[in-house]
Amino acid sequence: MRLDPVTLEILGNKVAAAAEEMCFTLQRTGRTLYVKETADFACALAGLDGTFFAYPRSIGVSGFVALDCLPAIAAVGELEPGDVVLTNDPYRSVGLATHLPDLHLIEPYFHDGRIVAYGWAFVHCSDVGGRVPSSISPVNHEIFQEGLQIPPVKLVRKGRMNADVELLFRANSRTPDANMGDIRAMLAALATGRRRVEGLIAQHGVGAFLAGQADLLDYAAEKARRVLRRVPDGVYRFSDFLDDDAVTSLPVRLALALTVRDGTVTLDFTGTDPQVAAAMNVPSHGEPHAWLTLRVLALVNTLDPTAPLNRGLLRHVAIVAPKGSLVNPEHPAAVGVRHAAAIRVNDLLNGALGLALPETMPAASSGLVVPLVVAEATEEAAPNVQVVEPMIGGTGARYGADGVDGRDSGISNLANNPVETVEAEVGIEVLRYALRPDSGGAGRWRGGSGLDLTFRVLGEGSQVLARGLERLRFRPWGMRGGHPGAPTEFVLNPGTPGERRFGKIDLLPVARGDVVSLRTAGAGGYGDPAERDPGLVLADVRRGLVSAEAARAVYGVVLADGAVDATETARLRADLPPRGPAHDHGRERATYEQVFTADLLDRLNAALFRLPLARRTAMRRAIHARVLADLPGAFPGHEDVPTRTHRARLVAEIEALEGRVHP
Amino acid sequence: MSGTTARHGAGAGARVGIDVGGTFTDFVLSHPADGRLVHYKEPSTPDDPARAVVRGLVNCAAKAGLAPGEVSLLLHGTTIGLNAIIQRAGARIGLVVTTGFRDILEIARSRMPSSFDFHARKEEPLVPRDRVFEIEARFDPRGHATRTPDAAALDALASAIRAARLDAVALVTVNGYAAPEAEGAIADALQARCAGIAVTSAARIWPEIREYERTLVACLNAYIQPLMQGYFARLASGLAEIGTGAQVFVTASNGGSMSLDSAVARPVETILSGPASGVMAAARLAGAAVTGTEVPAIITFDMGGTSSDIAVALDGEPEFATRTEVGGLPLVLPVVAVSAIGAGGGSIVWIDDHGVLKVGPRSAGADPGPVAYGRGGREPTVTDAYLATGLIDPSRFLGGRMTLDRGAAEAALAGIAARIGLDGAAPAAAGALAVATAGMATELFKTLAQRGLDPADFTLVPFGGAGPTHANLLAQEAGIARVVVPPAAGTFCALGAVSADLRRDFVRSLRTPLEAGSAGRLAATFAALAGEGRAWLEGEGRFAGDVRLQRAADMRYAGQAYELRVGLDHLPDDAPEAAFAEAFHLEHERVYGFRDASAPIQVTTLRLAVIGRTPSLPLPHLPAAQGDPVPRGTRPVYLAGRWHEAAVFDRATLAAGHAFAGPAVVEQEDTTVIVLPGWGAHLDQAGNLHLIRSARA
Repeated sequence: MRLDPVTLEILGNKVAAAAEEMCFTLQRTGRTLYVKETADFACALAGLDGTFFAYPRSIGVSGFVALDCLPAIAAVGELEPGDVVLTNDPYRSVGLATHLPDLHLIEPYFHDGRIVAYGWAFVHCSDVGGRVPSSISPVNHEIFQEGLQIPPVKLVRKGRMNADVELLFRANSRTPDANMGDIRAMLAALATGRRRVEGLIAQHGVGAFLAGQADLLDYAAEKARRVLRRVPDGVYRFSDFLDDDAVTSLPVRLALALTVRDGTVTLDFTGTDPQVAAAMNVPSHGEPHAWLTLRVLALVNTLDPTAPLNRGLLRHVAIVAPKGSLVNPEHPAAVGVRHAAAIRVNDLLNGALGLALPETMPAASSGLVVPLVVAEATEEAAPNVQVVEPMIGGTGARYGADGVDGRDSGISNLANNPVETVEAEVGIEVLRYALRPDSGGAGRWRGGSGLDLTFRVLGEGSQVLARGLERLRFRPWGMRGGHPGAPTEFVLNPGTPGERRFGKIDLLPVARGDVVSLRTAGAGGYGDPAERDPGLVLADVRRGLVSAEAARAVYGVVLADGAVDATETARLRADLPPRGPAHDHGRERATYEQVFTADLLDRLNAALFRLPLARRTAMRRAIHARVLADLPGAFPGHEDVPTRTHRARLVAEIEALEGRVHP
Repeated sequence: MSGTTARHGAGAGARVGIDVGGTFTDFVLSHPADGRLVHYKEPSTPDDPARAVVRGLVNCAAKAGLAPGEVSLLLHGTTIGLNAIIQRAGARIGLVVTTGFRDILEIARSRMPSSFDFHARKEEPLVPRDRVFEIEARFDPRGHATRTPDAAALDALASAIRAARLDAVALVTVNGYAAPEAEGAIADALQARCAGIAVTSAARIWPEIREYERTLVACLNAYIQPLMQGYFARLASGLAEIGTGAQVFVTASNGGSMSLDSAVARPVETILSGPASGVMAAARLAGAAVTGTEVPAIITFDMGGTSSDIAVALDGEPEFATRTEVGGLPLVLPVVAVSAIGAGGGSIVWIDDHGVLKVGPRSAGADPGPVAYGRGGREPTVTDAYLATGLIDPSRFLGGRMTLDRGAAEAALAGIAARIGLDGAAPAAAGALAVATAGMATELFKTLAQRGLDPADFTLVPFGGAGPTHANLLAQEAGIARVVVPPAAGTFCALGAVSADLRRDFVRSLRTPLEAGSAGRLAATFAALAGEGRAWLEGEGRFAGDVRLQRAADMRYAGQAYELRVGLDHLPDDAPEAAFAEAFHLEHERVYGFRDASAPIQVTTLRLAVIGRTPSLPLPHLPAAQGDPVPRGTRPVYLAGRWHEAAVFDRATLAAGHAFAGPAVVEQEDTTVIVLPGWGAHLDQAGNLHLIRSARA
């Protein structure tokens, strides 16, 4: 360390507080929904290397601590006092921006004529043009459909707004005034940061300020490494699936080999599917990007909450992400809903780390975030669009603890909407907003329950949007003998003759009186349910989260007169089949992998990646289509299918492809 | 002495403010003859706080030369409710909710305490799921009943409640805020079927939109009601035994007070009364213009054993919050806004694995307490750092009621110094104080930044045991140029209690657009709330004379997610819509820097506070100084990186107009004030000690 232990602690606290103050300024002066309601913004201080040495802890988007400003800074050439760089371009900013609605600003902070730090701020703005209002649609397949791409440019030169840039920017948005409001709020935040940096230098000196930046990164890196050294050396392989890519029904595979050597971690995503012709690609540029490393950061913070939040936390983390894959797409892949894939990347890292640290990592959380929206016709041109609830599920069980029911901060930690304010805004009556019984995966420790939101439509001409529906097909996995959680269900008019169940659906027209029910997946369980304390099973039954039938059938617990029948329970448990230590992904994935085995998918992807980028997607779709051709439509929902012949067909397809790419 | 007609004007008996703390129960008595204030501390009796209250009252009255029977009014703050909530040691309660909403407490507002810690648990719900009952009772957003329980449903529910052996029950219906009378009627019908189990209707107690938050108000009320009832009964019998017929009033989280009957019916309004009383006393002091010619904008600074709290008051009025946290649960009742900013006297000084000096968040508390207490504490604390730097005198702690072991404190800090290469206990102690101070200042900056305020515009008013000791350090770090240390800062919360107004807040959610014709509806709703308020005040049995009504509305531009609370006291009762709109635009401009004149405005909630003013206490009047102040002596203090020989003054000997320069120490019965180098100090006529930055450090 360059600084003494008192000054370092004081400086560390001050720079972190400065970043939070920047956020407060932004929140107070910003005027759009994303700022005020969902806090989809952040501010930080970057060092001369462009990475963050100070990041807010209590406000703003928590996951972007690993972003790198340097490519955007380098792109604009020399900077002068009063300059501010703007970009939203995931490709030309090399992953600083991760989709187009995120506007990023960077201001160099000078002292005595030289740059001593950079202020950074971003806001998810309302609209940057493109095919659809709000610029984001999962079915966009090129970034050109997602709006205006702004390479790093000087928005402000020596303190004066660059009128040409503003003109161009305003002309390409449906909400130019709101966007400029967001930009003004960010400029105010950057000014706050500049004043704080000036104050710090006045009090502690520029030498201490610069030394402190380096020390804070070293300090975080050491703390992170100390935690990561608790992960036993080895290679840990894991894979998981998204139900589909939103434009086809083909599952999307994510694969990871996690290698740990003496507290250094390599995340190798080889085996992950090629980038998709939809908007869920994660533009990481093969760097230890925020969206690929969130779970590692969470692990460090969980085991050592005192580590300062800065880029040093990832010094000992390396990434291998094949170019042209879902997790390192090439231009012009669309990236608007990259968080949908990031949710599954989180599960992937969680699963791999769980192989290494089975008593630290939990089973899969419910793994979806669905803002359930009602768009109601009005007398005016624009419909009344309201988020009913941001629907999530629970967290996975872990060694020693049940999962959390109906809450999950793994990706974001958003507040829900009071039902009373929703009903005051839009014509629905909420019939149930509750935990979903028997949804949490059974286990020695039970997975968190999913949620059940059921409402009746009171108005005419309404539509329901359920973007982000996931885990309808592949369940959140259980760990060490724990069962997977129940899959998501989306049902219209449940329990009536007109009941209809939907798979993934983007937009559902509904009539007055229709009842819509979304039941999110439960999270995975941990450990053999036959080892669960019967008293805890009884408590779950009393609390109505586990049915008496499930207690008997899954946990082997027999209840009589509100108490555990110990004798019958022992007898029943003796007959339950033992559960192995492997992750249980549920029968749907087991069925799927009887055809699409891990080895074959690795081979298929290896061959696909030898094709030119432009041909991969079509080839992948064609091969899958031929293999799936005479499987039942519900595959892998039905178990009894002649998988061997289909697997043989897949092998033939792969061999043919390999022959072509390896002449 | 008759309790029911007691007024505290001329001819009444003494009034006494009481604040029950963990270690001491503080008393401030206003003497009926000359208005003189008598301060007294009695060791607390945590197993039954009423014992210390009764015993201390006798002793305090004796100190003032009075018999207990000459006390006519007790204003009492208690933390019984707060402690029960924090320790989850309240009553066994049940919750009745609209069918389909059984998990209202489990889901809450969906957020987890941490985004990054995947081992974090959610808060323990006040009512476990098996004691939550559903009933077919519901309203639409306009307050029309869409489902109403019949007698059979109520009978069945009542028998389930009785079978669950509950002490109390809270009832919440969806959209009940829009029909408080109708929900109240259901609660009455249930109460009639459940004798001995108190039923709280959420809409009746706090008819504000947002079902989870309203549910918590009702649950918290039910949760602490039996405890509080028991406590007040014990207190009443204790008071009867010593022959005082004093009326008892209870201080509230909104800085006011209420009768015993009100407190028993709505104990949830009392839970944050302690800190609120202290802030009220400070705000009042600032309102009395002790800060001289400047705008009296103050930040209060209360430093206790485990943490430090600040609050902001402008023009003698503290800021109120309608969203605070109690025991990990959000509370939406209006309370004096108090924010924790970091270390307290018991916060532990330590070195982490990487050789960095840390202070807190762990605290040694009162037991074992700092190393210097000699009660087994091994790790040095902030209080030990005060000793090792000479800031406090080990023989005069708490007015000499407790002798501290400075040698032990120094030895512990020398251990810290050795681990990080510092030369001796004093530099390590100074380092720890610098870390603690910087931490407080950064939290203070953040707290004010959220409101767009700059600490440089404020005067710091410290109270509590360590507040005056640390205030100058904090002011220096935060760029605050003036500190005002009130007399008897150590019993400040009791002082706030003795001068507390009667006050109650009322609320009604409307969710109506502000458009032609809505002014009449707003006026009618305010009139109804004012009627409720006046009726309450008259029922309190201590009508102070001057009644104030404060009106405010939560408003927003249509489509905005956040409401702004807009004060409407300046508007006449028959103000037109445009006046409401302009008030909102102005407030929006003040807070967010812009207005949107074209956007429709929504009024979501109306708020009214009814305040029965208590006559101000006469200010103490110090004799004018004759010549320079005479220090009791000097002692070495380690400040700004070196030892200084600082003058030590006895506050009791200082007179109005006395002035001196730092470094200096002022000792008083309940605390020690430090004056830094580069700062000057003087006393005003009311006995306040002003510290003024004289040079930029």
